[in-house]
Amino acid sequence: MAIERSYVSYATAAVAIAAIPLSFFGPGGLRLAVIGLLMLAGPGTALVLLLRLAPPRSVQAAGALPIAITIAIAFSLAVSTLVATAMIYARLWSPPAGVFLLSVATLGLLWFGLERPRRSLAGVK
Amino acid sequence: MTRQTAATVPVRSAHGRDVRARHGAKPPTNRNLGLTSPLHVGALAALAAAALVLGVWSMTRVDPHQIGGSGLIRALPAAYFVALALSLAGFVAALSLRRFIPALLTWQVLVTVIILHGPDPIIHGLPRLEASFRHLGIADNIAQSGQLDTSLDAYFNWPGFFSLLGMLSSATGVQDLVGLATWAPLGINVLLLAPLLALAKPLTTNPRHAWAAVWLFYLASWVGQDYLAPQAHSFVLMLTLFACLLSVFSGWAWPTDRNRLSTWLARMVSRLDGSVPRQGVIEPSRGNAAVLVVVCSLVLVAMTVSHQLTPFAAIPILAALLLTGRLRLRFLPVLAVVLPVGWLLFAATAYVQGHFGQLFGSFGDIGANTVGVLSERVSGSGEHRFVVYTRLAEVALVWGLAVAGAIRGYRRKVPWLMAAAGALAPMALIPAQPYGGELLLRVYLFGLPFAACLAVLPLLSDKTGLGWRRALGLLLLGSVLATTTVVTRYGNDGMESFSDDEIAVVNRLYSTAPTGAVLIEAVRNTPWKFQHYADYDYRGLVGGEPSPAKATFSCEAVNQMARTSGAYLIVTESQREAAGLRGSTSLQDLEQFIATCGTSPGWKKVFENAGGVIFHIEGVGNGN
Repeated sequence: MAIERSYVSYATAAVAIAAIPLSFFGPGGLRLAVIGLLMLAGPGTALVLLLRLAPPRSVQAAGALPIAITIAIAFSLAVSTLVATAMIYARLWSPPAGVFLLSVATLGLLWFGLERPRRSLAGVK
Repeated sequence: MTRQTAATVPVRSAHGRDVRARHGAKPPTNRNLGLTSPLHVGALAALAAAALVLGVWSMTRVDPHQIGGSGLIRALPAAYFVALALSLAGFVAALSLRRFIPALLTWQVLVTVIILHGPDPIIHGLPRLEASFRHLGIADNIAQSGQLDTSLDAYFNWPGFFSLLGMLSSATGVQDLVGLATWAPLGINVLLLAPLLALAKPLTTNPRHAWAAVWLFYLASWVGQDYLAPQAHSFVLMLTLFACLLSVFSGWAWPTDRNRLSTWLARMVSRLDGSVPRQGVIEPSRGNAAVLVVVCSLVLVAMTVSHQLTPFAAIPILAALLLTGRLRLRFLPVLAVVLPVGWLLFAATAYVQGHFGQLFGSFGDIGANTVGVLSERVSGSGEHRFVVYTRLAEVALVWGLAVAGAIRGYRRKVPWLMAAAGALAPMALIPAQPYGGELLLRVYLFGLPFAACLAVLPLLSDKTGLGWRRALGLLLLGSVLATTTVVTRYGNDGMESFSDDEIAVVNRLYSTAPTGAVLIEAVRNTPWKFQHYADYDYRGLVGGEPSPAKATFSCEAVNQMARTSGAYLIVTESQREAAGLRGSTSLQDLEQFIATCGTSPGWKKVFENAGGVIFHIEGVGNGN
């Protein structure tokens, strides 16, 4: 169950970077897949990687997988919802700007995750 | 905890003798060591794959025209039930293995989810419920205008989910999200898997128990609030909130010896359920805990801006967590109250002012909000009443098992109190208001993840594996619930699903009627408004919900609506189904209305196909 953190980080970063140009142009299906994935799991995955809920490649990491996935999805959905709603109420409706914000948040959290010491920060039973 | 092989393999017997010695000269095999052979694992995975293929194939063979008053069950071929049985047996077998394999259980549960919650998209290929189409229209309206027109309807006062969809639509250039709405029931159930498991873990004693609870949730989840809707989005968020709080912030919010009340409460809780949750519990650093507090708060805010009911449902459950020593964050229940009340007062002011009576008119009237609503629901055709009674029976079965589980948990001194409190807490909403007659359904849904943890308790042992008797009991229970859910979940399929012909009628209506025209539906159950949400004046003659006095149709009512500048009347097959099924009006009345008014002066049939008919009614003004 131990998933390589680095692969997940690269994939998340790739989605976040690709979403920026795709919010302006590109094939509809690809735009929907990439931007949809960013809104569904981008910032949350980066946050979970930053938090390191359990030491990698450990029994605890497998035990923490459901809560990690849960937080990744819910945080992404919540942030995407709040960004979209804030744009509406601020009368600044610009979906590509919203996607850009989500991408920046994702990349920022990933960067913080890389900067953070590699020691385990939490334990799960 | 998840890979228990090493911990549970009996390498040495109880007397300390080596297993290898006990088996003489035999080499150590999986069987000798009590291990699960890879062949068994592969066979179970293949069984699930076979169930999936058979299930999907059988669903593609369904003729939607055979769906009658009792719903989908009459139209499903025998192969579907074979597939369902295989998937259930596969899960129970996987759960019974000596070796605990989460990947295999995940696969088994996903197959069951696809077979049980996938028929709508696979059979009909269109979104379920007319509300799905409306929600697409609201998202489209927001995406196009970038603004909220709160005068249109209540949805615009809680725009979070629709803004999210609007942003997705605008940023991807995909204006037609019908595909997303079609597959939403399946997608949302898959999305629920991780939150359900994360929530079940701290509520149960071992991973097998948690998985069994998740499985039971899917088998008993017939309410069908998993379509493309704000409540589904908020339900995912709410489960995450509880899972996160129970995993990270479990404990008393105050010193238990602070005063007499806190001491008494702690002693009482300890006496009822002295177990200490161990699995799924995370002990984060202070920094990580602070980040997770922010995450929980953001989740609450996102729920508040998206849905009017779910944040209120979170309040009693959070209070239950606090009072049972499972929530250290004292401020969170307060925040959970402040946010939705503040939103009602400041952001949804116009709605509250316009609907004050509707919102608070039945406050405290428990009888009207329970028995009154139930008696309204038990109406319509005989087949529909059978479906409603089956729903009541399923709820009773789940709740009965949950009560039995709570008693067993208390006796066996395993965690039960928090699950019981979580299952009961949503009932605190009942005195508030009937929520359009849907509150009881929502209360059942909100409590189900907790009730499921209790309901499986009598059938599980604390030891590794299940034993054949318990496994058989679990399979029997699963089979009863799954079969019942096919009846209860898809009992209204005739009116909740739509055909391509009906969509063609609606599309023709939009291409025929000029912008601003009055569009009338005979019975409120039309798959429209997915575009041009604010461009027309939408009206209905008869509500889809049953009412004490049966509504009747009259040509004069339509003529009055069309008096100024004309109108278009649409009557579809699913409107007829709704009228017949729910009994909101007489089907005979509807047919007579069409036959009589359709030939009266000023009425002209514009379009007709197998899905419905459109009439144009001339106005006295410009004849439009």
